[in-house]
Amino acid sequence: MELNGGSVVAMIGKDCVAIASDLRLGNQAVGVASNFDKVFPVNDKLYYGLPGLATDVYTLKEHLRFRVNMYRMKEEREITPKTFTHLVSSTLYEKRFGPFFIEPVVAGLPTPTELDPHPKPFISTMDTIGCITTPKDFAVAGTAADKLYGVAEGLWEPDLEPEDLFETVSQTLLNAVDRDALSGWGAVVHIITQDKVITRTLRARMD
Amino acid sequence: MECSFGLTGKDYVLLCSDMSAGRSIIRMKSDENKIKTLGPHLAMAYGGEPGDTNNFAEYVERNMRLYHIRNHYPLLPEPASAWIRRTLAESIRSRHPYSVNLLLAGYDTTTTKPHLYWIDYLGTKAVVPYAAHGMGVYVSLSTMDKWWFNDMNKREGVEVLKKCVDEVKKRITINFNFNCILIDKDGIHHINIESEDPISEYEAAQPKDTVVEAPNPPLDVGVTA
Amino acid sequence: MARRYDSRTTIFSPEGRLFQVEYAMEAISHAGTVLAVLSKEGIAMAAEKKVTGKLLDLSLAPGGEGMGGEGTEAWMGGGGEKIFLLNNNILAGLAGITSDANSLVNFARNSAQRHLFTYDEDIPVEMLVQRLCDMKQGYTQFGGLRPFGVALLYMGWDPIYGFQLYQSDPSGNYSGWKATCIGSNHSSATSLLKQDYKEELTLEEAKSLCLKVMSKTMDSTKLSSEKLEFATMTLHPTSKQPLSKIYKPSELDGLLRDLELGGTEEDAVGAMEGTGGGGGGNVAIST
Repeated sequence: MELNGGSVVAMIGKDCVAIASDLRLGNQAVGVASNFDKVFPVNDKLYYGLPGLATDVYTLKEHLRFRVNMYRMKEEREITPKTFTHLVSSTLYEKRFGPFFIEPVVAGLPTPTELDPHPKPFISTMDTIGCITTPKDFAVAGTAADKLYGVAEGLWEPDLEPEDLFETVSQTLLNAVDRDALSGWGAVVHIITQDKVITRTLRARMD
Repeated sequence: MECSFGLTGKDYVLLCSDMSAGRSIIRMKSDENKIKTLGPHLAMAYGGEPGDTNNFAEYVERNMRLYHIRNHYPLLPEPASAWIRRTLAESIRSRHPYSVNLLLAGYDTTTTKPHLYWIDYLGTKAVVPYAAHGMGVYVSLSTMDKWWFNDMNKREGVEVLKKCVDEVKKRITINFNFNCILIDKDGIHHINIESEDPISEYEAAQPKDTVVEAPNPPLDVGVTA
Repeated sequence: MARRYDSRTTIFSPEGRLFQVEYAMEAISHAGTVLAVLSKEGIAMAAEKKVTGKLLDLSLAPGGEGMGGEGTEAWMGGGGEKIFLLNNNILAGLAGITSDANSLVNFARNSAQRHLFTYDEDIPVEMLVQRLCDMKQGYTQFGGLRPFGVALLYMGWDPIYGFQLYQSDPSGNYSGWKATCIGSNHSSATSLLKQDYKEELTLEEAKSLCLKVMSKTMDSTKLSSEKLEFATMTLHPTSKQPLSKIYKPSELDGLLRDLELGGTEEDAVGAMEGTGGGGGGNVAIST
């Protein structure tokens, strides 16, 4: 966790969700890369972030891609945020006694169905062995998690529109990682709405 | 007790490694080659626990060669980096993990783009324009931060690399000899980084004199026209 | 006497033949035709669907109304009866026993994902073909009661060799083609392709050649999405990444109308009519 650094935050808005991460990959105090994205798409309604040990970020990402691709081809539909959360959780728990050093964050918008025409935006987060929490407001993880909690607690409010949510999540992330030596070096934000995903890279302090 | 760095340019990638081998404060060898060619356009500079290093490098080399023989074309840099990373990531959770750090450099013949990967013994992979491992990181990374820029030609690239070598010689108390290669569309070539003007020397030399022996099977094996 | 050597796949007959393998190949030459044409700009593939009875409920089945799509949609709408997406860069058309085909498709998809997992790249087309053929060959030599009764056409793209078209049969042999055909009437279709194929075809020309030969191969005069599946493999115009497209029934009918090969709903042939070479037979297991 403290070896490579990195942080992720997700927030719920009005019919939208946001997920953002920093871009640093470090080797303890030395910065190695400033292009290490920790947030990955599952589809255009569902993203997830994997802050933690970088080798596990790759391994887990590739593992999940395998499982989601097979799910998509066999089920002939996209995986829902809730199902995906449980997929991540059980993947983590499989390694209960030699865990992936990752605290995943999932953010997605469920597709409306006949039974549930107005689904609520969804975020969830897990510990390293897959214990799920599904907050109603925001989820944070990574080396700047404690700082992110503080800023998010102050800035987040219910029912933010996509642009306001973007501002809130960006300010939360930037201000938190500026107080964390192991996170930062650029940031990327995704706002997921029913009709599109807005992805922006932020200008951040590069020191 | 090692030091390696690499950087990418417009259509080439440079890899440079020290040549010392020894234990603790004793140097037993100052002409050890710690860069392994893995294919016609792929090479890696490696370091770490002595013994693990050579064993792992040869394991990678033979697997790259096997892929080449089976498929009649070599593994491209991107999938090669993924394979090496996965091998180390699986190793770290095994009973006897390899303790090897490496820089993987390659030239993608399909896209004509250079690639450089920073990979450590945990299986961490970073895709970077320039990178370093070992004792030289502190001085060479900051040197490259200052002097490296996008799409450098060969002369500019070698000059930045030379600045790194000079900085290491100036700031690090241990004296290193350096070994350097350049990978471009023509394959892997040796660069005499210690000389006054390496790039002129390289350009004046016959290609066959600088070419680095790569495991390059005849491509027509098993292929009927 | 010959029957003594029939029941086992692993035993040569006195003439040095493997009867079970030959029977499997024979079974395929009664199956629905699958035909594909390679061009510089991409590959087109058409497959004949055997129409089953009107009481068969296809509303939830793959190949129903929700079928087809482009890019990621092809992943989900993919599973028609005959054309399957094996990976991001590879589509396959199958002729033979459906249940065998399903198992092969699953194996192929798993192999492709395994390659993606270790190499972080789409599996090269020929490598996936080899994976399947290694498995098919295994059943001509070891254990099982019979070989896979399936032949496949694979169309795909990879950065090394670009667009490629392969064919494989139950013996585990495979070969690369510019245009080829498997299933019923494959020999006449192949000679038609040989006549009309030109180097430097555009994709549009490949699509039309594909469907024209198909219309001549199938007995019925009018083609429609009821009896046909159609797919293309191209490169995305901007990202230059492989783009699979499995035609939706409405899109295919549109294309057929443009080529004046049919495509009107009203002319659709009913169940058990005009199904080409194989005729009636047990359509539930032989597509």
